[in-house]
Amino acid sequence: MKKMSLSSIAIHAVMLLLALSWLYPYIWMVLSSLKDTADIYSTGLFEGPFSFDNYIFLFDGSERVERPFLRTLFNSFFISISVTLSVTISSAFIGYALAKMKFRGQGLFKNFLIIQMVFPAFMFIIPQFLLIREFNLINTYSALIIPFLMSGWGIFMVSQSFKGTPNDYIHAAKLDHANMWKILVHVMMPLNKSILAIVALFTFTGVWDNFLWPLIVMQEVEKMPLSVLLANFSKSYGVYVGPVLAGSVVQTLPIVVLFIAFRKYFLQGMSLSLK
Amino acid sequence: MIKGLNIKESAQGGLIASTYMGYSLVFWIFPFVWLLILTFSDWQFIGTPSFSGLDNFFNVIQDPLFWKSMKNVFRFLMYYLPMVIFASLFFALGLKKIKYGKSFIALSFLLANVSSGVAYSIVFSKLFSDTGPINDFMNSVFGFTIPWFTNPDFAMFSIAIVITWKFVGYYGLIFYSGLVSIPKEIYDAAELDQTGPVKRLFKITLPLMNAQIIMVVVLAITVAFGIFTEPYLITGGGPLESTTTPMVVMYEAAFQRMEPSWAATMSIFVAIISFGLIWLLRKLFEKNIEIV
Repeated sequence: MKKMSLSSIAIHAVMLLLALSWLYPYIWMVLSSLKDTADIYSTGLFEGPFSFDNYIFLFDGSERVERPFLRTLFNSFFISISVTLSVTISSAFIGYALAKMKFRGQGLFKNFLIIQMVFPAFMFIIPQFLLIREFNLINTYSALIIPFLMSGWGIFMVSQSFKGTPNDYIHAAKLDHANMWKILVHVMMPLNKSILAIVALFTFTGVWDNFLWPLIVMQEVEKMPLSVLLANFSKSYGVYVGPVLAGSVVQTLPIVVLFIAFRKYFLQGMSLSLK
Repeated sequence: MIKGLNIKESAQGGLIASTYMGYSLVFWIFPFVWLLILTFSDWQFIGTPSFSGLDNFFNVIQDPLFWKSMKNVFRFLMYYLPMVIFASLFFALGLKKIKYGKSFIALSFLLANVSSGVAYSIVFSKLFSDTGPINDFMNSVFGFTIPWFTNPDFAMFSIAIVITWKFVGYYGLIFYSGLVSIPKEIYDAAELDQTGPVKRLFKITLPLMNAQIIMVVVLAITVAFGIFTEPYLITGGGPLESTTTPMVVMYEAAFQRMEPSWAATMSIFVAIISFGLIWLLRKLFEKNIEIV
C-alpha cells in the first residue's frame, strides 16, 4: 500500500469529522430517546442509564393522553404502501404506453406531464382541499391516499427508462403472443428494475414524510399518519423530551432503513434528477 | 394484419393514457380552475363565491403579512445560499480527494436529505434550545449561549442552518458530478503554467461548474419558497414573525382565518415571484460552456 501524504490524511480526518457531525443529530436523537427526560440535558452523550421506558410509554401508555402512536404508525404504513403500490404500477403501465405505444395526442400528453411538474405544489393545496371537502372525504383515509394515486413525475421517469429498452424484446414477446400485461411483467419490469425501485422508494419516503396535507385534511387522531400525531404531541407535550424523541426515532427509522438497504437506488435516483 | 394491430394498439395506448388524463382532470385541472375562481371572488368556505374583481389582489398587496413573509424568504436566502453553496462545494471537493471511506462519508451527508421533516425539526429544536447540548457546548467553550430560535435576529439564520444540514449532501452530489466531468488535462495545463490552487479554483473549476451552480441555486430558491414544516414546528413563525414563511402565512390564512380566496391569491403571487427570481438568475448568470 502506498503511503498517504500528510495533506491527504488531513483531508480524510476533516471529512470524517464533518460526516460524524452531520450524523450527530441522529446519534443524539437515538441516545437521548433511551434516557429519562430529566437526564437528557444533564448527562453526556454516551452517559446512561439507558432504558426503553420512553418507547414503552409511547406504545403502551400514550393511549391515556389520547395519542395512539402504535395505531398511527400502522396508518402511516398503510397510507404510504397503498400510494407507493398504486403509483408504481400505474406509472409502469402509463409509462409503457407513452414510451412504446403510439396513440393520438402522445406529444401533447408528454408536454402536459412536463407542465404539471413546473407548477409548484403549494398552489394546489387549497383548491385540492376544497375538492376533498366537496367529495365529503375530510377525515377519511381516502383523503390521504386518493389525491396521490398517480404521479406525473413517476410516469415521466418510467417512460424515459422504458425508451432505452430495445424494441426487439417487445417484438419477440409479441411473436410469442404475449399480451401487454405479460410484456410488462416478464420483459419490461425485469429490464427496468432500478427505475421502478427509484419511483417506489421516492414515492414512499415522500408520502411518509408528508406533513402539510395530512395536517389539513385529518383531524381524527385514530386515522392520522404518525408525522401529524408526533407534531401534535410535540406541540402540546414538548416538555416530555424523552417520549417526543422516541417518537422522532420511530418516525425516522423506516426511511433510514430503506435508505441504507436501497442506497444504490437512492443514489441513482438522485443523480437521475441531475439531467 | 399489421395495420389492424396498429389500430388496436393505438386504441389501447390511448385508453391507458386517458386514465391519467381523467385522473388529472379531477385532481389537477379542476383544482387549477378553482384556484382561478377563488382569486377573483370573495368566499369563506360556505355559500357560493361572489365575484369581487381584483379585490383579492389589492388585499394581498396591501397586507403587511404578505410583505413580511416575502422579506423573510429573502432573508432566508441571504443566509442559506452562501452557506449551502460553500458547504456543498467543500463537501464535493473533499469527496473527490477521499480514497478511503468515501461511501460512508457520502451516505452520512445524504442521510440528512432523506430524513423526515417532522422528526428532524423536533430534534433540532431540542438540540438548539436554550439549555440544549449546542448551547451547553458554547457555554463551556466560549462562555456564552446563543438564543438560536428565540431571538428574532437569529431565528431565521438557525432555520437556514437546519435546511443547510438537510441539503448539503444532495447539492454536494450535484457539484461532485460536475467536478468529475472536468477533464484532467485542463488542470495539467494549469500546473504547467504554474497556476496556484486558489486561482485554479476560481478560474477553472468554478466557471466550468456553471451549470451545476445554477442548478443548485434554482433548487435552493424553490426550497426557500416552499418551507413550512421547520418554522411551523420549531418557531411557529415567531419570534415577532421573523420566521413566517409564505407557506405558513397561506396555511394560517386559509385554515385558521378562513380566508381561502386571499390565500389562493397569495399563492399565485408567490409562484410568480419565485419564477421571476429564477428566470432573472438564469438570465444573469447562466452561461453555455463547452469543453473542447
